Amino acid sequence: MIEEIYTIERQAMGNSPVHKIDARVKIIIAFSVIIAMVAYPYSVDVIIPGAIFFGFFAVLWSISKISFIGYLKRVFLILPFGIFIILFQIFFENRHYDTFTPIVDLPLNIHIYAESVEFASILLVKFIICISFIILLSSTTTMQDMLTGARRLGLPSEFALIIGLMIRYLFVFAEIFEKVINVFETRCFNAFDRRLPYNYRLKTLGYAIGTLFLRSYEQGERTYTSMLCRGYSKDSFLHVSRQRLKRGEFSFLAISLVFIILIPVISYFYL
Amino acid sequence: MHLIETRELTHTYNKTIDALKGVNFIAGRKQRIAIIGANGAGKSTLFKHFNGILKPTSGEILIRGEPIKKSNIKEIRKLVGIVFQNSDDQVFSPTVEQDVAFGPTNLGLDEQTIEHRVNEALRLLDIEELRDRPPHHLSGGEKKRVAIAGVLAMEPQVLVLDEPTAGLDPRGVTDLTSFVNRLPEEYGMTVIFSTHHVDLVSEIADYIYVMDRGQIVAKGTVDEIFMQQDLLSGLRLDVPVLPKLIKTLQEKGIDIDMAYNYEDSEKAFLKAFGR
Repeated sequence: MIEEIYTIERQAMGNSPVHKIDARVKIIIAFSVIIAMVAYPYSVDVIIPGAIFFGFFAVLWSISKISFIGYLKRVFLILPFGIFIILFQIFFENRHYDTFTPIVDLPLNIHIYAESVEFASILLVKFIICISFIILLSSTTTMQDMLTGARRLGLPSEFALIIGLMIRYLFVFAEIFEKVINVFETRCFNAFDRRLPYNYRLKTLGYAIGTLFLRSYEQGERTYTSMLCRGYSKDSFLHVSRQRLKRGEFSFLAISLVFIILIPVISYFYL
Repeated sequence: MHLIETRELTHTYNKTIDALKGVNFIAGRKQRIAIIGANGAGKSTLFKHFNGILKPTSGEILIRGEPIKKSNIKEIRKLVGIVFQNSDDQVFSPTVEQDVAFGPTNLGLDEQTIEHRVNEALRLLDIEELRDRPPHHLSGGEKKRVAIAGVLAMEPQVLVLDEPTAGLDPRGVTDLTSFVNRLPEEYGMTVIFSTHHVDLVSEIADYIYVMDRGQIVAKGTVDEIFMQQDLLSGLRLDVPVLPKLIKTLQEKGIDIDMAYNYEDSEKAFLKAFGR
């Protein structure tokens, strides 16, 4: 599973115009869309900005030349986190409606309300648009660029340093994990091999996980020592060189922001 | 005044394991010093005392004649740069450029100076094209160069390399050897390194310390140490191939001068066989 990190990275290192845009532009656009969608009042009209933003996303996604199947796979991976909360809404009353009409009566005095179903649908639209833009951002920007972009946008230096370390060692541990898997395979161990005693399989996996914990602890100690050797202190920060946005990037950002602001405003007040 | 001096340095881990016992070590300006010894001899522990990562259990460590204190620790870490054996321990930033800039940034330098130092270090190690690459896309040799660049960007006077050839291919070893040899003359740096690769020692070092079980058991020039072949074998260290061969030939009655590196050996063989 962790080896998927390389696939995601390869995808993010693409060569399309969307990949080449400065990370700051993509971060601002993604977060602007998220804020616009989250701030949009709970009304069925949300489908209008939702559809337009999805169109905007679809255009950017197709320019990025990443397969649509890849997008769907990621949506389905993330969906369970939100869909659980969204589905539960249909059983409860909420503060956005005054009256509730039961459309299905279930035992134990549980009802499904028409208004709650409407509310859950609104949440679903908001959720899909938000995760689509996050998927677009993470699929077209490497983690390193995202961190650099966030730092240039003012992410506190303490966070940047820690996130930087996390990104670096995510890959180191992916390599270690791969080596552990290779060792298991070389010595014919399969955790799902029913011919092996259940306890033995569990114990072996336990040892492997324990070893990974120990190695991460030791790695942390060694890294900290080497950081101290290079003058690390509580005031240390990740160096990010200054870089101005190109004129094209600036124009694209400006036009996108106007679009992202105007669409919900027009939809709410005039449609 | 020596750049680094230890006096009767002793270090005990967890009050039980004596890692260093009464070590007396001196490093002067522009020297190239090798510390050789089997695994567990105490080489890495000694190195960690050079910039205050470890504190002596007893004895003294002086950097430019001054003991290491909290007040001068930053200055000392700028002066003595350590490159660790495993580059993954040292290269921890998301990109090569950010990693090389880590040390200079911690020194509180301004943006322009940081940029200059990063560019210089990358140029010196010939890795300018790796600038934007994440470390996990680098080979072992490239990572080692990045680790060295990260330390050189702090402009240390002493470069300490812990097993610098570990995991390098033959070309990587050759490149590293020629690079290390340039540092004392061109940049006035002192280089201290540990290695198991004894053939390399005569190519790089002018002075050798031999360690065994936390103690310095011998010290001297390359000739003085490699003449004591029984001592090296007794410490589970290889004797370099060329002096070993020449000694065998001498024992068989061939009149050939002793030599310790490739260049001198070539001359000795040509002279001995009349070419």
